[in-house]
Amino acid sequence: MNQKIVEISGKRLSIANLEKDLYPSFGFTKAQILEYYRRIGKFILPHLRDRALTLKRYPDGVDQDSFFEKRCPSHRPAWVKTAAVRLEDGGQMTFCLANDLETLMWVENLAALELHVPLARAGSPETPDSMVFDLDPGDPANILDCARVALILRDLLIQLQLTSYVKTSGKKGLHLYVPLNRQETTFGDTKKFSKAVAVVLQKNYPDLVTARMAKEYRKGKVFINWSQNDSGKTMICVYSLRAREKPMVSFPLAWRELESLAGRDDPEKLQVLYSEALSRVEKQGDLFQEVLEKKQQLPHL
Amino acid sequence: MAVQGIWSGTISFSLVAIPVQLVRAVEPGRVSFRTLHRKDYSPLVRTMFCPEEEVIVPADEIIRGYEIGPEHYLTITDEELASLSPERSRTIEIVEFIDMDEIDPIYFDHPYYLVPTKGGEKSYRLLVEVMRRTNKAGLAKFVLREREYLVAVKSTEGALVLITLHYSEEILAHEDISPPEAKIEADETSRIKESIKKMLADFNPGQYADERRKKIMALLEAKAKEKGLVEAPEVEEEEGEGPADLIAALEESMRKVKKKQ
Repeated sequence: MNQKIVEISGKRLSIANLEKDLYPSFGFTKAQILEYYRRIGKFILPHLRDRALTLKRYPDGVDQDSFFEKRCPSHRPAWVKTAAVRLEDGGQMTFCLANDLETLMWVENLAALELHVPLARAGSPETPDSMVFDLDPGDPANILDCARVALILRDLLIQLQLTSYVKTSGKKGLHLYVPLNRQETTFGDTKKFSKAVAVVLQKNYPDLVTARMAKEYRKGKVFINWSQNDSGKTMICVYSLRAREKPMVSFPLAWRELESLAGRDDPEKLQVLYSEALSRVEKQGDLFQEVLEKKQQLPHL
Repeated sequence: MAVQGIWSGTISFSLVAIPVQLVRAVEPGRVSFRTLHRKDYSPLVRTMFCPEEEVIVPADEIIRGYEIGPEHYLTITDEELASLSPERSRTIEIVEFIDMDEIDPIYFDHPYYLVPTKGGEKSYRLLVEVMRRTNKAGLAKFVLREREYLVAVKSTEGALVLITLHYSEEILAHEDISPPEAKIEADETSRIKESIKKMLADFNPGQYADERRKKIMALLEAKAKEKGLVEAPEVEEEEGEGPADLIAALEESMRKVKKKQ
């Protein structure tokens, strides 16, 4: 195994197998993955900060076996920050916190292509700082149908004085975030609210939307997965790579852009490749910054 | 990448100090299962139940009590316990060397490897070799995870092994379970000695494997191929839509949105 020692902010890190191609049908090596995360670091780190990180590791590439790693590996360097999180079954688990570039580089050395995080920070695991609508198309519905639903959701939320933000999942769907950033909000609130929204949409657009989890209801429709609003669930972090054929990114879109793309019949236009992600974010900045800052209150609860 | 240890510090005796790391030496091969609800494969969780109030008690309402008699407890806080914890060891200070054979294996608790860190390789190898030749083990006191242990450090196949030992007060007396003494016939002794001699072999742990674990893993593999996985429902599909007030507000907003379209 060829190894290389790098030093970031005075911390030493051993990285290995840089030439290994982890997206073989596209051609994207571990060195390129590390370089992607190094350049996106400034933008992704605020969204990873203080959140119990779940690694989805692809040691042999995206078309081979992968595994979720929640427990922060015991072979971590001493400088990796961690948080002890209480689990549903009463036990405790130590999670990694990707709070700095060196930790981000270390997890990418483990081929953790996908970075998943909860909607709450480790210090206040029961306080979601966003409410999320995870829009998941059931075949043959596609991301364009998700775009239609996202636009309806945006308009509905505006009526309730709530601003929302949208990103691609990097796979087939879209994720709509409603920033809250209030200590008083609980997952009970966000779940109740998002479910009511999903149920009302299903009632008004029965051919387009379902609020039900069971697979038989999801065919040809967009499933509004409100149940992601849970302390035990994680979402793919904005700017994370996804493990599919090409290195696509979960990337924020401006509403105007989604409006114009929703009108065209080209679902591929709604996918953002790593290179486009880098050039766009370096030009336009972080479209998801407000998700971390904007304070909003859910009405009628 | 180098293994990251559970602890790092030095091992020392008289004038020698060797920088080392403590790493795990065994990983139990037990196959663990989740418990599921038979009807829909929902994974089950353990909860703390208060039989008095018939409610599930949340974590922040749970404290520790030492039972001194029926319904009588002394409560103790995490802080109180923490204040009693010994300070973390920086060194494993060997105070005595003993013959390895002197320690009854009943005292063995948990094994770890000691591996040399930078600059310690040479003296580490020397210590391993000397301990191997003399069949001696070093005894030391050592704090690991807030507990002080008596440990034995010995040489195994070119490496140092640290074994935490039980304190003598933890060893249960065997007087109650041994049969009463009886007269032993001389020819009986020699007969049994003879059969033991016939069965003598070298200890070769590689030829034994956890057969049950192997069979379980094979069964699981076959199941995955034949039947596939069963899936838990992602969440309970609760009845009801939500608070009436909210639903009304959403319906009203929905009408406005539709009008604009």
